[in-house]
This record gives sequence, C-alpha cells and structure tokens, in this order.
Amino acid sequence: MRLVSRNFFLGLLLLLSLDSPALATDKQTLPTLATPFAAVDFELDGEDGRTYRLSDYRGQVVLINFWATWCPPCRYEMPSLERLWQQVKGKGVVILAINVGEDEDTIFEFMGQYPMTFPLPMDQDGKVIKAYPVMGLPTSYIISPQGQVTHRAVGSREWDDAGLIEQLMSMRK
Amino acid sequence: MPRSLLKPLLILPGLFIPGLVMATDVQTGVDAEAQLPYWELRNREMSLRLVQRLPDQSRAFFQARGFSSEHADLIARSCVFQTVFKNTSNLTTPSPLEYHLHDWTVHYKGTQRKMKVREDWKQEWQKRGLPMAAQLAFEWALYPTEQVYQPGDYNWGMSVFNLEPGSVFDLEVVWQQSGKQHTATIKGVECAADVTLAPRGSE
Repeated sequence: MRLVSRNFFLGLLLLLSLDSPALATDKQTLPTLATPFAAVDFELDGEDGRTYRLSDYRGQVVLINFWATWCPPCRYEMPSLERLWQQVKGKGVVILAINVGEDEDTIFEFMGQYPMTFPLPMDQDGKVIKAYPVMGLPTSYIISPQGQVTHRAVGSREWDDAGLIEQLMSMRK
Repeated sequence: MPRSLLKPLLILPGLFIPGLVMATDVQTGVDAEAQLPYWELRNREMSLRLVQRLPDQSRAFFQARGFSSEHADLIARSCVFQTVFKNTSNLTTPSPLEYHLHDWTVHYKGTQRKMKVREDWKQEWQKRGLPMAAQLAFEWALYPTEQVYQPGDYNWGMSVFNLEPGSVFDLEVVWQQSGKQHTATIKGVECAADVTLAPRGSE
C-alpha cells in the first residue's frame, strides 16, 4: 500500500511538473484564425534600401512579423526566425519582419547582435500595423498564397520548430 | 517512456482532484532576468506575472524614445510593472483566454480605481503635444488594453497603475477562459520606490 501511495504521489508530482506553465509554453502553436481576412497590401522601405510590397509575394506563403528592437519577446524569437529563413527561403515561404516605429540606424545596430538576412521593412509611422488587428508586439500573421490571412501568433515562437516548419510548408500551393 | 505516452496515464489521477488541478496560485519572488520582485498568478491554463520596474528604468527607456524628461518622469512616477500574460492551456485543455483591463480593479487604501490604459494616455499625450514617434513607441510598449490569446499566445508590456512610487495595492484580475469568467486577487503588490543614488563624492 505504501508503495502504491508513494507511486501515486510521484506520478502526481510528475504530472504537475509536465503541466507547469513554463513547460506548457514549450509546445509551439500557430493558431488558425476563426475568420480569415484579406491581407491589406502595403509598400514599405526596407532597412536595406529596397522597397517591399506585400502583393509582390502573391502565390507564396508570407509570414509577416511585427516587431521592435526594444521588445524582449521580439528579440527572443529573432534567432529562430533567421534559422527558419535559412530552411525555407526559395521554397515558397517568405518572411517580412516589419519593424514598428524605428529607423535604419537603430535596426542596423540591432543586427550587430541579432544577425538577420530576411527582409526588414520599416513601418516608421505605424500605418501598416494599424491596418492589421495587432494589439501587442510581437504579433505574426500567416498569409496564404491566395492573399488570405489565415493564422496568427501572439508573442514569440521557436520558429524553426519542426512542427511549425511543416505547418508553413504545407500551406504552399 | 516518452513524455507523450506518459502524460495521458498521469492525467487520470488528476481528473479526480479537480480542485488541485485548477487551483489558481499567487507566487512572489525575484524575477531571474530583471532581478526585481515579481507577483505571479497562475494555474494550468494561464499565468500572469507583474515584475517591478524601477522609475529610473522607465525614465531611461522613454527619454531614449523622444520623451522630454518631464514626460518621462510622469510615466516613471506612475507605478509601472512589466507584465507578461500567457495562455498556457496548449498542453492541457486548449482554450482561448480573453481579458479587458477595464474589468480589472486596483484596491488601494480602501479605494477602488482602474488602471491607466493606452487610450487614457493617448488623450494625455495629444493634449501635451508629444511627438508622433514618441506616441507610437509608448502605445506599443504599453500592455494591450484587451486581447484574446489562443493557446500558446502571450504578450509582454508595461502596465501602469497610476499610484505613487512605493505604494502597496491589491489587484483584482478578471479573465474569461474555458467558457467561464475567472476572478483572482493578487495581494500586496508593491510599486517600486523612486530611489536615485547621489553621485559618489557629492556629499
């Protein structure tokens, strides 16, 4: 009886530790929007001097990520976004990481600490972020090849998680 | 045994102890990253952590984003906490979480008041003629007034309680999850004191 009781409590402890919020956040999610909506087109200058227009990427899966250098969870996910980019670029998935309210110098300095090779359009006056239902940073949206916003992730993710990569790749045409 | 196989077996005893599984606890301690006190409300489906922000941290942050020292001081002396609210139901029973800061109540010295949210500040900054870039930085640095988190979602931002530095208050938190409204109170939350050390040799 003592052994059964001991095992029960050990099991219970293990259950509680498996379900602790810290571990729960380890499971990466990319929730589907209940009501997909048409992506609002935009044209923004990039940190690299190029112009980025969302509609130029029609036919591909587009991950748009709204971020800022001062936002801690935005910083957490940047390395995994870069690793994701290294795995998906040229394969029908595009990342546009839209910086909100900062300038080239600030982003350039940030890139010294967080190397990023994907496009970094700059929404300096905050008009593009207002066109999307964003409440906080970072927020990412997935846009289908048909131009529909189908998924949303609020807060950082480990973007190179195998499950997330599979989910993104499966959305291609 | 892989965790995926182990977990369903372990959930069974938990089903018979619903009070234990769904209990909402308040924990306090020192945040490992900020090295400042925190107050955290958590159960198996959510966690809400408030981490003290020193007034000088807020002054530095906002002055670096176009705020005058007067305006940065106004925020810094309004009791600011770094706030992280997570929907952690993705490993238990996935369920969206919804909140609105207008539903939350600050209990302070026998009075009840509401938090000072983005929309309140926006009016104030417009009246004071704050540059647009600074208004934009402020808006996105502040905790969202309302939000719906799907499983695995979370936000991180500053929340402002509009109290003097060093004040102690209770926060009544309201949220909706799993088809129910939940209310819990975090007691004895302390706004950081406004302590500025004099430069060495100035005395």
